[in-house]
Amino acid sequence: MSHTALATRQTAALAWRSIITTMRLPQAWFPALFFPLVLMAIFTASFGGAPGNIPGFPPVRGFLDFAVCGAIIQGVLIAGTSAGAAFATDIENGFFDRLVASPTSRVAILTGRLGASIALGVAMALLFIGIAAMFGAQVDGGVMGIIVVVIIAALFAAAVGGLGVYLAIRTGSSEAVQGTFPLFFALLFFSSAFFPLDTMVGWYHTVAAANPITYLVEAMRDEVIGGATVGTALSGIGIALGLACITVGASAVTLRRSLRVGS
Amino acid sequence: MMKGLAVSFGLAGRNLLLVRRVPSVFIPSLVMPLFILIATAGAFHGIGALPQFAGASYLAFTIPMAATMGAGFAGINSGMTLARDLEGGFFDRLQASPAPRMALIAGPMFAALVRSVFTTTVVLIAGMIGGVWLPGLWATLIIYAFALLFGAAASCWAIGVALRTRTIQATPIMQLVVFLSVFMSVAYVPVDALHGWLGHVATYNPVTYILTASRAAELTGSVIWSETWPGVVAGGALLLALAAWALVPLKHLARR
Repeated sequence: MSHTALATRQTAALAWRSIITTMRLPQAWFPALFFPLVLMAIFTASFGGAPGNIPGFPPVRGFLDFAVCGAIIQGVLIAGTSAGAAFATDIENGFFDRLVASPTSRVAILTGRLGASIALGVAMALLFIGIAAMFGAQVDGGVMGIIVVVIIAALFAAAVGGLGVYLAIRTGSSEAVQGTFPLFFALLFFSSAFFPLDTMVGWYHTVAAANPITYLVEAMRDEVIGGATVGTALSGIGIALGLACITVGASAVTLRRSLRVGS
Repeated sequence: MMKGLAVSFGLAGRNLLLVRRVPSVFIPSLVMPLFILIATAGAFHGIGALPQFAGASYLAFTIPMAATMGAGFAGINSGMTLARDLEGGFFDRLQASPAPRMALIAGPMFAALVRSVFTTTVVLIAGMIGGVWLPGLWATLIIYAFALLFGAAASCWAIGVALRTRTIQATPIMQLVVFLSVFMSVAYVPVDALHGWLGHVATYNPVTYILTASRAAELTGSVIWSETWPGVVAGGALLLALAAWALVPLKHLARR
């Protein structure tokens, strides 16, 4: 078997192990589903009067259409943090060392974890769109719109997964990786994930306008509420890809360094 | 009676001492209400343009919610400290002492009230930095009173959970219920701007009446009795129910 084929099989096996581990631990997947869905429901019920009644709010059928993409990004962030913590647990309990001591491809150690993050990101995006659709939301962009939303969610999941691996290798502590969650949560609130950028004012508007999550969510949202163009879709995909390249690149360099130090 | 109070204050003092010794427990309870104030008032500023707000500042509208949430976190802290004492065996030593049982939960609750005063003050100062001046002496005292009422109720809830589970790992349950009780009320908009299921849930949620009363004081700058008494009744009933929730396992522990 060629090196590439072997690495691919090992990547698939390690990704599958990560997914199974996540599924077996309710504390790993429950918050990623529960909190975004509850907040989406609360925001939809609280801000249902906003569309069409406040200046700067884009034309939408209902607030749920507007809210679903913010919920997807939030779910991906929470799931990514848990995945990073799980990788740190592998380091803490010695599984990572056993993996390194085995003839497992070094690339597969990283791509396996990232593959699992991407798969969970895709599943989460589809699940959230499905649940929102059950309560009346519609994706204006149709199947192509859903594909764009899923691609951005998958790339963003890779970006968060890469950051999780980076933090796990740097700290070696699952608690430390979980401890970064409030920062991500703040990053999400200081964006247009939950409310339109045009309704914000002052320094808050400036911070949200400089936050890349704003542009990710808006590119996804345009597919749901209408108004998407090839340009908006490509910009969203481009930003997500850029973030993924940075964090995955950083995690690959850190992994290589840690293996060199360990050998 | 005096002995019980002395033990309660002693335990409250110890609880507050931990604020300095274990800052990782206290800092989140200080940062969270500030974050909630800034993030809510900043992200949802535009919703203040709805006619139901009658032109009120959204920052001023959010201050009572952030103060209430801060007090809720202070209450959760008391449960966390108690859970740590239960895990570490300190609570068992207290039980073996002649200290009145009631004091064992009154102490952490007093500490939660002191912390609630602190977090509410921080929220009000942050509001002033944002341009919302204090609403006047009596109205400000009303905001403090309702924050303390909710802080005491949250403390009883968290203490009840700690006594039943005897583990710090139960913290997410303590936090989740307090979070949801505030968010499933009029946290973001007035009751007549709520849509669908939340309108019904908020009507039966006592936190709605606590927030409405506190908000009336903040926004009008005066004490409006018709807005205040439902908050007193709902908050009082909530406190009584949760005090019973905290006391029942304490009695069982005494028999062990």
